Amino acid sequence: MSVNATPGGADVAADETATRSGARHAAVPAQRNRRRKPPLSENKKAERRLGWLLCAPAALVMVLVTAYPILYSVWLSLQRFDLRFPDQREFIGLENYVTVLTNEFWWTAFGVTALITVVTVAIELVLGMGLALIMHRTLVGRGIVRTAALIPYGIVTVVAAFSWRYAWTPGTGYLANLFSEGAPLTERASSLAIIMLAEIWKTTPFMALLLMAGLALVPEDLLKAASTDGATAWQRFTKVMLPVMKPAILVALLFRTLDAFRVFDNIFVLTAGGNETSSVSMLAYNNLIRGLNLGIGSTMSVLIFLTVAIIAFVFVKLFGTAAPGSDDGERR
Amino acid sequence: MSDPDGTRRRPRVRALAAAAALTLVAPMAACGSGDDGGVPTINLYYPPEQNLQKVVDNCNAAAQGRYRIAYRVLPRQADDQRVQMVRRLAAQDPGMDVLGLDVTWTQEFASADWILEWTGQDKAEVEQGTLAGPLETARYQDKLFAAPKNTNVQLLWYRKDLVPEPPKSWDQMISAAQRLKQQGKPYQVLTMGAQYEGLVVLYNTLAESAGGHILSDDGKRAVMDEGTVRALEQLQRFATSGVTSPSFSNATEDPVRLEFQSGNGAFQVNWPFVYPAMQEANPELAKQVTWARVPGIDENTPSKVTIGGVNMAVSAYSEHPAESFEAAKCIRNAENQKFSAINDGVPPTIERIYADPEMTEAYPMKETILEELKEPATRPLTPAYQSISTVMSAMLSPPSAIDPQRTADELRGAIADALESKGVLP
Amino acid sequence: MAVETTTRAKLRWGLLDVVVVVFALIPVLWIASLSFKTPATLTDGRFWPREWTLDNYRTIFATDQFVRALVNSIGIALIATVIAVVLGAMAAYAISRLDFPGKRLLVGVSLLIAMFPQVSLVSPLFDIERQLGLFDTWPGLILPYITFALPLAIYTLSAFFKQIPWDLEKAAKMDGATQGQAFRRVIAPLAAPGLFTTAILVFIFCWNDFLFAISLTSTERSRTVPVALSFFTGESQFEDPTGAICAAAVVITIPIILFVLFFQRRIVSGLTSGAVKG
Repeated sequence: MSVNATPGGADVAADETATRSGARHAAVPAQRNRRRKPPLSENKKAERRLGWLLCAPAALVMVLVTAYPILYSVWLSLQRFDLRFPDQREFIGLENYVTVLTNEFWWTAFGVTALITVVTVAIELVLGMGLALIMHRTLVGRGIVRTAALIPYGIVTVVAAFSWRYAWTPGTGYLANLFSEGAPLTERASSLAIIMLAEIWKTTPFMALLLMAGLALVPEDLLKAASTDGATAWQRFTKVMLPVMKPAILVALLFRTLDAFRVFDNIFVLTAGGNETSSVSMLAYNNLIRGLNLGIGSTMSVLIFLTVAIIAFVFVKLFGTAAPGSDDGERR
Repeated sequence: MSDPDGTRRRPRVRALAAAAALTLVAPMAACGSGDDGGVPTINLYYPPEQNLQKVVDNCNAAAQGRYRIAYRVLPRQADDQRVQMVRRLAAQDPGMDVLGLDVTWTQEFASADWILEWTGQDKAEVEQGTLAGPLETARYQDKLFAAPKNTNVQLLWYRKDLVPEPPKSWDQMISAAQRLKQQGKPYQVLTMGAQYEGLVVLYNTLAESAGGHILSDDGKRAVMDEGTVRALEQLQRFATSGVTSPSFSNATEDPVRLEFQSGNGAFQVNWPFVYPAMQEANPELAKQVTWARVPGIDENTPSKVTIGGVNMAVSAYSEHPAESFEAAKCIRNAENQKFSAINDGVPPTIERIYADPEMTEAYPMKETILEELKEPATRPLTPAYQSISTVMSAMLSPPSAIDPQRTADELRGAIADALESKGVLP
Repeated sequence: MAVETTTRAKLRWGLLDVVVVVFALIPVLWIASLSFKTPATLTDGRFWPREWTLDNYRTIFATDQFVRALVNSIGIALIATVIAVVLGAMAAYAISRLDFPGKRLLVGVSLLIAMFPQVSLVSPLFDIERQLGLFDTWPGLILPYITFALPLAIYTLSAFFKQIPWDLEKAAKMDGATQGQAFRRVIAPLAAPGLFTTAILVFIFCWNDFLFAISLTSTERSRTVPVALSFFTGESQFEDPTGAICAAAVVITIPIILFVLFFQRRIVSGLTSGAVKG
């Protein structure tokens, strides 16, 4: 078998894949749990080889591009290192972590970020599910709805943020004039609300698209059968659709949360962090890019990374076997 | 990845990696610096300026084949400009020769040894006839590290149909605006108060006008003396006087201009660009608008106004330093500064240009600008300026929440930390 | 679900459609409206322009700066999308269908990569690319795009592959289909929604990226559209070229619309009773 990185090569690989798995399935009774490991048979070895071979290109690219930058960042976080004072560079262990974790700016920003993450992801999940159902099921104008609904996600974030800013500035924007006398972007609560609105508007389509593709996997005949058995719409949704969609929901939640926790553009444009609306990413940006303090900046990056990793871990545990890579994922 | 029976597989993986690397690298051809026929290319990294290419062409013609300047435009946002240059200088990239630096970055770049000192004849030529204020921003530890190309100062713009005499102090301006408000006329005092550099510029103007010092004269220590506290009081009083725009604490330059243009304001403190823009967008209103020196803290002590602008520096990693100095001098020479002043609206740093008759039409406000430039306020001259500015803008925002003495004490501590690159920037 | 195509059902869906479209498009129309306003009326607080102008569009097409960036963006995003989806599909197939040691490691590591704040990875990446001569080239952007799109691609695709009833393939073969037919007629249609969803998401990710694009390019040779926007100039240093930026935002949304229009049609209900019979 020849494998290379071109699309043509992948076709070959995919065909091969189909052959092998087909062969394997013919040999192993379908109901048998794959986890029961017989001594390594020829088939098993072939399966391993194929698995590695298929994963190798993706793994290689990811590791080659990111291994050094990530390790380097972690290494920097253990140093006192300001780009402007290179002579003072020294290894200081965890001191940067102590500095950051005892700093009130950090915790304020952390609170803001957590709030934005929880609120936006929760609302997006609900709205996204509704949107997905509409995009998937609608009887009229399906193409238009799907395309229109995805446009917000496709618009360059910074431009969208600027347009929101104009819209919410008194005297210059249609929304500010609509609602109140004051300037909503100069107060903390209303600023945060607008930031979240902008986030939700922008990224609900991401959620919806992933969920819609999950919906596409729900077998029609199963729904029909449930309907005939007298299941209500809600029962059909919770009993038939949700279980099939679980992996899609996990992926959508996981990647939205990762992104939401790193919110930057909207805040940067809308308030520049004024009235205590800074996020942890803005703090990292200010220390790393503006302050050129590579030590503190990298420390913040590592801390953001750890936080997100914990969130991801919790999600993956909650979803159990629906998570990619878990052994029992196979559908009966 | 673990690989128990890897011996057989390994060659294939290696071939794959090689193939991937090849496909990815092959399309890019040679990317050398393209010296055609021995003429060195001088890469000029400079913020976007509409007609600068014309200046570059002039200089290339004047160079008669000794060098050729290529204008590489930097992004519009100051942060983006700085980070691009810093990243490449930190990597000792020889691809940059002449750099257009914001006046507040010069000390930082000089202290990191990223830019070359100007000496001898070059230095003498730059110092000849250049205004003292802008020149000050180009020095670090009494050495000259850059050549000021253009400067900038804010002016007070006001409606002469509403305000007969320009106010001499901020408090006079506030009361005038309050009177207009009672009469139901346009009254707002519009200026920049968002959490960004613009707020630091405003505060620096107030502090210097009050005779205060943010840093010690050598730039090594945080001072925050009596004058800076008075400036904090003034800023807080202004923010809570009911004459600002509701958006004051989120306002940046262009929105301020637009709001004044729409007729809400009686006063505007902003850079000179607002005037030609207003003549174009709202000529009726522009007829009613005139200008004066920015008000002071005391009515009897004239203000000291913060200067901005761009300095030209030569990268320490340039492969053609001699030509780079020459190119930088050409771009900022009197003739080209005049061209840029008239066509791009950037105030010159060479004093005698202001007397040029051609300037009168493009710069009706040139007398006021020159007056302010002769007694200017510079922002703290220190390699740590960016950090100090980040700290100050965060602590001054929102201006209505300033508690003068307490804010001053907090600022002193935070600035001291920032000077030593200690602690966390907000 | 009952497939009643009564007028009332249609009306109900139509109403919901309208709600969705309004929610999604009002802010977009606002951006479009800004792009048609004259500088004088840009911020007059009205939703629709008082005076319409095409000047902003003329401005962005006046030089080839924007067009060059558009070409770069399309080329880079398409290549990166194709490669990321192909590599992602291979890995996802293995993860969801095959048993091999190191699988969980791969899944974990790819998630870690997606989680690390990119802002601190940019500078080391810049150093590497400069040494390899990749700085300011197409591959110099394509590589990081593939890398940071791969985790999402792998996760999305394995989630979908996991839910595909692979036994159907066997059933089809029992019905007399050849291996190739079974794959083409049964498995491929089932995998399609996942593949096209991934393609859309990856494409939009590459299309909208600003951080890598501004850090790893320096000339028009490889500058993409979001970065080109930050090089637009107003009349002077402090004037924002808002109109031109909005016009450009409208123009660059068109390729996204076309891309979505083209691919969304393939995200349909995969498994109907018809599919099994082929």
